[in-house]
Amino acid sequence: MNRYFRELSVTGALVLLLAVLAIWAPHFYQPQPLLSRFTAQTPALILTIGMTLVMIVRQIDISVGAQFGVCAVVAGLISASGAPLIVALAAALAAGAIMGALNGVLIAWMGLPSIVVSLATMVTWAELLRLFQQGKFINLPANVQWFGLSQSAGQQGLIFGSVLLLAGVSWLLKNRSGGRHIYAVGSDAEAARLAGINPKLTTFTVFVIMGTLAGLAAVLNMVQSPQVDPKCGVALELRAIAAAVVGGVAVSGGRGRLWGSFAGLLLLATINPALTFLHVEAYWEKAIQGLVILLAVIADGLRSRRQTS
Amino acid sequence: MKRSQFLALLAAPAFAFLPGCGKSGDAASAPGGSVEKRLTIAFLPKSKGNRYFSTCEKGARAAAEELKVDFLFDGPTNTDPAKQNEIVENWITLGVDVIAVACENREGISGALKKAQAKGIKVVTFDSDTTPDARSFFVNEATDEGIGHALMDGAAQLCGEEGEFALICATLTAANQNQWRKQIEARLAAKYPKMKLVDSKPCDDQKDKAQQEATNLLSAYPNLKCIMAICSPAVPGAAEAVKQAGKSGAVKIIGLGLPSENRAYVKEGVTQSLILWNVEDLGYLAVQTAYAVANGTLKAGDKTMKAGRLNEVEIDGTSVLLGKPFVFTKDNIDQFQF
Repeated sequence: MNRYFRELSVTGALVLLLAVLAIWAPHFYQPQPLLSRFTAQTPALILTIGMTLVMIVRQIDISVGAQFGVCAVVAGLISASGAPLIVALAAALAAGAIMGALNGVLIAWMGLPSIVVSLATMVTWAELLRLFQQGKFINLPANVQWFGLSQSAGQQGLIFGSVLLLAGVSWLLKNRSGGRHIYAVGSDAEAARLAGINPKLTTFTVFVIMGTLAGLAAVLNMVQSPQVDPKCGVALELRAIAAAVVGGVAVSGGRGRLWGSFAGLLLLATINPALTFLHVEAYWEKAIQGLVILLAVIADGLRSRRQTS
Repeated sequence: MKRSQFLALLAAPAFAFLPGCGKSGDAASAPGGSVEKRLTIAFLPKSKGNRYFSTCEKGARAAAEELKVDFLFDGPTNTDPAKQNEIVENWITLGVDVIAVACENREGISGALKKAQAKGIKVVTFDSDTTPDARSFFVNEATDEGIGHALMDGAAQLCGEEGEFALICATLTAANQNQWRKQIEARLAAKYPKMKLVDSKPCDDQKDKAQQEATNLLSAYPNLKCIMAICSPAVPGAAEAVKQAGKSGAVKIIGLGLPSENRAYVKEGVTQSLILWNVEDLGYLAVQTAYAVANGTLKAGDKTMKAGRLNEVEIDGTSVLLGKPFVFTKDNIDQFQF
C-alpha cells in the first residue's frame, strides 16, 4: 500500500472529482462529449509517457512543446501536399527523433544540464517555427481527419492506440532490462555504470524516444481536426511535466510509474471541464491546477524527509 | 483642347503602370497643363509575407493607382521593430513625401518618425498607432465599441434576440479582449434583456484549447444557442467542436476571425458570420489619408474626409475611422483570400 501511496492518492482524487461530477453535473457523462474530451487528451498522454521516462532518468525536457509544434507543421505540410498519412507520420517521427537526439547528445555526452539545453532548443525550435510559418494555419485535405474513418471510429482508435502504447511501455519499463536501466541510471548513474550499464547511452536513448513520441503525438493531434494550428504545441510541455509530477514521478529521478502519470493527466485534464460543469468562473482553473501540483510536490517532499530521517 | 484632354484621360489609367508614361497622363489631367511633381507615398507594414498585410498592400496599391502617386512598399520579413526604424531612415535619405506605417512598437518607432517629420515628410499610421506627436493622423480600423456592438448585434440576430450564449476569448487578461468583452456586455445589458451570457472561457490563443472549451460548454449548457469567439484561433476551434457534437446550425457561431481559417466551416453552415474590418480597405484608406495630408486637403480639426471609393469617412480627433466592421458570410467569403 505504502509503495503505491502517491499513485493511489492521485487516483483517489480523480475518483472523488468524478464522483462530485456524477452527483452535481451528470451531463458530464454524456457519451459523445466524453469521447471527444478523452480523445483531445491523447496527444498529451503520449507526451506524458515520454516525459515520465525522461524524469525517471533524472532529466527534464521542456522543449517537447516546441518539438510537437515543429512535427505538427512538418506533418501538416506533407499531408497538405497530398502525400499519404503514413509519409507524414514517418516524417514527423523522424523530425522528432532528430530533435530528441540533439538534446540527447548535448545532455548525455556533453554533460550539460537538461533544463538549460532544452530551454535553448525550445526557444530555437519555437522561433524557427514562427519565422517559417508566421502563425498561418495549414488546411488539410478531407481524408486526413480521423484517418479517413468516421468520427467515432477515429476517436475510439486514437484512445485505444494511446492506452495500448501506455500499457506496452509500462510493461517494458517494468519487465525488460532496458526499462530497469532507466530506473537504475535515474537513481544513481555511477552505481549503474559500475553495474555495467551505459548511463550516457541510456539517457540519450530516452531523449530520442521523447522526441519520437512528440512526433507521434503531433500526428495524433493533427488527425483530430481539418487544420493545423502552428501554435498547437505552446505550453504542452508544462502539461506533460505537471501530469508526471502529480502522478508521483520524482523530479529527483529513479521513481515513478506510467499509470500514476496517466492518473495525474486525467486529474488535471478533468479540472477544466469540471469548472465549466460546476459553473465556476474560469479564473480559478489555473489556480486550482497549481494547487494540485503544489500538493503533489509537498507530498514528495514529506516522503523523502521521512525516508532520510 | 477638350477632345484631346478627354483622350488623355482615357489613356492615363492604361499607361499608369509604365514609368514615364504616367507623367504625361498627369500633365494632361492637371488644369492648364502645368506639370506637377508626383507624390511619393512609402508604405510600411509590420511585416511582409503575412497575408493580412499583403491584403492591406493590395488596397494601398489600388489607391496609389487611382491617385497617380509613386508607391514604395517595404517592411521587415518578420515582425522586427528595429528593422522598421532602419527602413524609415532609408526613406528619409531617399526623400519620400509621406510615410504610412503600421507600427510594431509604439514608442520604438516614434524617434525615427519625428526625425522624418522634422525633414518635412508627412507621417500617418494605420492598423497600430505610434505616439500621437510622431504622426498627423492614425487610420483606425475599428473601435472597441464598433467591434463589441457588431459581435453582440450579430449574435442577437442569430439567436432571435433570446436565449443563452457563451463566449471564448484569448485570455482573461489581454487589454483589447477585455475592452471588447466590456463593450459586448454593455450592449447586451442595454439592448437584449432576453439574452444571457452563461460563461466566458479563455483559450490561450490556441485552436485546440478553444475546441475543448467549446466541447465542454456545449454539453454543460444544453440550451446554448450561440458561441461567440472573440480571438481568431477560437473561431475554427469552436466550429470544430460544434461539428463534432453534431450540432451544426443548431448552435450558431459568430466570431472575430480570418476568412482563410474559416472558409470550410462557413460554407458548411457551421459558422454563420465572421466579423473583421475589411483589410483591403484599410490599406486603401491609409494611402488616401497619406495623400490628403501631403497635399493639404486634410488638416487637423477636420471632421470628415473624402476617400475615393469609400466616399466620406469620419474623423474622431486625429483618428480616421474605417467605419463599421465588415461581416463575412457564406455569400461573400469567397471574395476574400486573407
